[in-house]
Amino acid sequence: MNKHIRKHETDLLWRDREDVAVLTFNLNGETFAIEATVVQEILDLLPETRVPGAKAFLGGVINFRGKVIPLADIRLAFGMEAGEATIDSRIIVVQLDIDGEPCLVGIRTDKVYEVTTLAQASSEPPPSIGMRWRADFIDCLVKRNGEFIIVPNLKKIFSVDVTPTGMLFTG
Amino acid sequence: MNLMDPVQVFRMEAAELFVVIEEGLLDLLGDLSNQAQIDAVFRGLHTLKGSGSMFGFEALAAFTHHCETAFDRVRKGEVPATAELVAAVLEAQDHMKALVDTPNGDHEATGNGLLAKLQAAVGAKAAQGCVVAAPLPAAVAGTSSAAAPAATRWRLRFRLPVNAMANGTNPLGLLDELADLGDCTIKADTSAIPSLDAIEPDDLHIGWTVELTTTQPQPRAAIEDVFIFVMDDMEMVLEEVSSAPAPAVASAPTPALAPTSVALPLADAAPSEPARAVNTAPAIADAKQTKPAAENVRVPAERLDELMDRVGELVIAQSRLSQLAGVSADIQLRSVSEDVERLSGELRDTMMVLRMVPVGSLFGRFRRLVHDLARETGKEIELVTEGETTEVDKTVIERLADPLVHLVRNSIDHGLEMPEDRLASGKARAGRVTLSARQAGGEVIITIRDDGRGIDRERVRAKAEASGLIQPGQMLLDQELLQLILQPGFSTAAQITSLSGRGVGMDVVKKTVEALRGVIDMQSTPGEGSEISLRIPLTLAIIDGLLVRVGTGSYVIPLSAVEECLELSAEEDLRSRGRSFISLRDHLVPFLRLRELFRTGTPPDRYQKMVVISTGNERVGLVVDQIIGDHQTVIKAMSKLHHDVVTFSGATILGDGNVALILDVTHLVTVGQQQEAQLRAAG
Amino acid sequence: MSAHILTVDDSASIRMTTRIALTGAGYQVTEAVDGVDGLAKAKGGRFDMIVTDLNMPNMNGLAMIQALRASPAHTGIPIIFLTTESDAEMKAQAKAAGATGWITKPFDPEQLVKITRKVLGK
Repeated sequence: MNKHIRKHETDLLWRDREDVAVLTFNLNGETFAIEATVVQEILDLLPETRVPGAKAFLGGVINFRGKVIPLADIRLAFGMEAGEATIDSRIIVVQLDIDGEPCLVGIRTDKVYEVTTLAQASSEPPPSIGMRWRADFIDCLVKRNGEFIIVPNLKKIFSVDVTPTGMLFTG
Repeated sequence: MNLMDPVQVFRMEAAELFVVIEEGLLDLLGDLSNQAQIDAVFRGLHTLKGSGSMFGFEALAAFTHHCETAFDRVRKGEVPATAELVAAVLEAQDHMKALVDTPNGDHEATGNGLLAKLQAAVGAKAAQGCVVAAPLPAAVAGTSSAAAPAATRWRLRFRLPVNAMANGTNPLGLLDELADLGDCTIKADTSAIPSLDAIEPDDLHIGWTVELTTTQPQPRAAIEDVFIFVMDDMEMVLEEVSSAPAPAVASAPTPALAPTSVALPLADAAPSEPARAVNTAPAIADAKQTKPAAENVRVPAERLDELMDRVGELVIAQSRLSQLAGVSADIQLRSVSEDVERLSGELRDTMMVLRMVPVGSLFGRFRRLVHDLARETGKEIELVTEGETTEVDKTVIERLADPLVHLVRNSIDHGLEMPEDRLASGKARAGRVTLSARQAGGEVIITIRDDGRGIDRERVRAKAEASGLIQPGQMLLDQELLQLILQPGFSTAAQITSLSGRGVGMDVVKKTVEALRGVIDMQSTPGEGSEISLRIPLTLAIIDGLLVRVGTGSYVIPLSAVEECLELSAEEDLRSRGRSFISLRDHLVPFLRLRELFRTGTPPDRYQKMVVISTGNERVGLVVDQIIGDHQTVIKAMSKLHHDVVTFSGATILGDGNVALILDVTHLVTVGQQQEAQLRAAG
Repeated sequence: MSAHILTVDDSASIRMTTRIALTGAGYQVTEAVDGVDGLAKAKGGRFDMIVTDLNMPNMNGLAMIQALRASPAHTGIPIIFLTTESDAEMKAQAKAAGATGWITKPFDPEQLVKITRKVLGK
């Protein structure tokens, strides 16, 4: 019963599964989790090349094994503040499905914790009010050890916006 | 018309088949995956060939065979249905019509040209398989020699397949046929008959032993012919017992030497014409065994792409090596590094050449299109092609096919006038469409030119305003106005005819060209015609670039676009501030300060440099902090997530592993032109 | 009574040739224009032999042969197929489906008569 009540349209993580293996990480003191199966690799910080004109949260690219992939700071998508790089900072490379094509993207994190299992039973949809961040960028919240783990909706965050930013035309 | 004459019936039938085939082909042009039409076209060709061969249209049968084979392979999924193939068969169809109309005419040269195209469209395997349908050996009576044949004695033991009777073979009929060959004694072998309760009434469990004395000139073949339909599935032992005692002529044919499985003789009735026709097409089946030394090797396109990737990686590794060698005092290392650099450069060039194919294969398909369009629009059209031997990267050829079809349609449909109108305005009756290709610098330029009425700018403007693409009365450069035609929102609904309505839209043309890192230039003079040029980079994977620094970032400018590099003196820099124009040999050239454009937030270097780039006639200066030098650039695509960033056409990895972005020259020139227009408008 | 032969072909000219050749040799001939037509006529009448094309719209010859052999009333009836090429694969399929024999196009009307005599016996 519970399962169905709690389901909401952005429930991408569970897809009728009881438990899902995730990778947890830290951003500005909050714990986030992404499904472990999409994670390709965890990297130390790499030299980043700025892409002028790109969206702020996708402002750079890195050389990942000979491929040029975007480096995302999802904090900026959420409207959180960008953080300074620390000795614990890591890049999680994930493979997303963008318009039916696999697409690699690096996600900047303050610290990577562990691969763990989250239970669907402890999951809640993001509250529609009282959130600091855009609710539609959050897939669900999962309560564990007294804290909420945020599962971001990567598909939504990275959904391709087809309109060119036209930086140069307006500039 | 004599309807009792099968030849006349065949001609009528052929006319119907041509309609079916052509409709199928044209539908396929719209949807290449349409299996129903692929089947329909194949069946049409098949029937045409089969019936044609029946009624003495050997040349037609031989020629159609190749088209049929091509479609058979498509039907079986061995090769994809491509626009190229469909066009080739469409074109071939006219030839088939000619072969029906005048079967004895001299069509060979035309036919060979068409077959070459067909082969190009599906790979040489299209011509595989022998067109000569061997007539039924059973019917062969043999060309009896004048000499009286000797009698021979044979022993034959055979057992038919168990389902032979169920499948319509009458064993008694076979025994009768054997009896017709000469004197024979027949013994049945019933040892294999199962018990009554296990027996199936239709099954055959009896074997036979036959002793036959025959005067057939080729007795072994004659006996085997009796079993022609069941030969493959039956058990048979056939042996010559001994020559018959009577006139044992020494010179009699020695049938025992004849192998049983091959060399079935061809009948005299066999048409000899198709055999000749086969020779005119490359006999691929034979070529397998006896390949001439200079034969081309066909390589799947993906392999070439893989090789290209490897070459790209090599170039990157080489540039890292060069960098290390550059700072090293080791002379030997430097020398090796130079060798590797030279070799990888040569390898790169060779690789590029491998990927090049003449653009003629692309142009060839337009004759039919123009032909059809002329018929349907009632316009008279002359198609001129130039520069067919210009070579272009294969990917470009593949991708440009559909856009070019659309552009040619567009030219004919909207550009060319009716013959009377042309005469009235002092032009030749026939409109002319010119397709040309040429190389210029690092680009290949494909141009579609017509001498029609030209683009009606007021109508374009009105449409663009109506569809909200521009504001009413908005100031536009002429080029911008013309380019509106390529915008996705530019409604062409009012202009769609049955022809131009098919296939892709102009916005797809634009997208395709841009995906190839190309540009579309448009020119049009009212009353005189229009010209659309597609400018595509010659090679897609590696370019020569100029590496520059802006702020702390490195960027690559495609060298093919670079006209010159200048130093921007402090005075000039100051003087041009706010104006962003520089006087270059009496021409005002707009320039862009990339530092500002990219918002680097860094102070400018003391000596600013300017790289002047151009696309065709438009020039723009790019102000950078430092010119680092030439750089062999392996192009990496930008991520899909960065497709909104229009300033860069790709990225590359530098020797130190860092990423440098490749500037999109076209885009920057457009920005420069806009800036110029704004400044001029502001006075 | 002369034998009755069903000729199944989508090509009118081939049907005509078949009919002319076989009626000339004293057989009775009925025509069908595709596999569906052929199957219906074969099941609706009594034929001594069927001559069929393989590549036809609606139902191809292969499917028709299979359908005929699946019906007990039509086991044993000789079925000769026409094939344009020495297409071993097609031939094997048709044989596997239960065809009795084949004629390779282009064929001489005399060949057809000869084959018919061979298959039907005297």
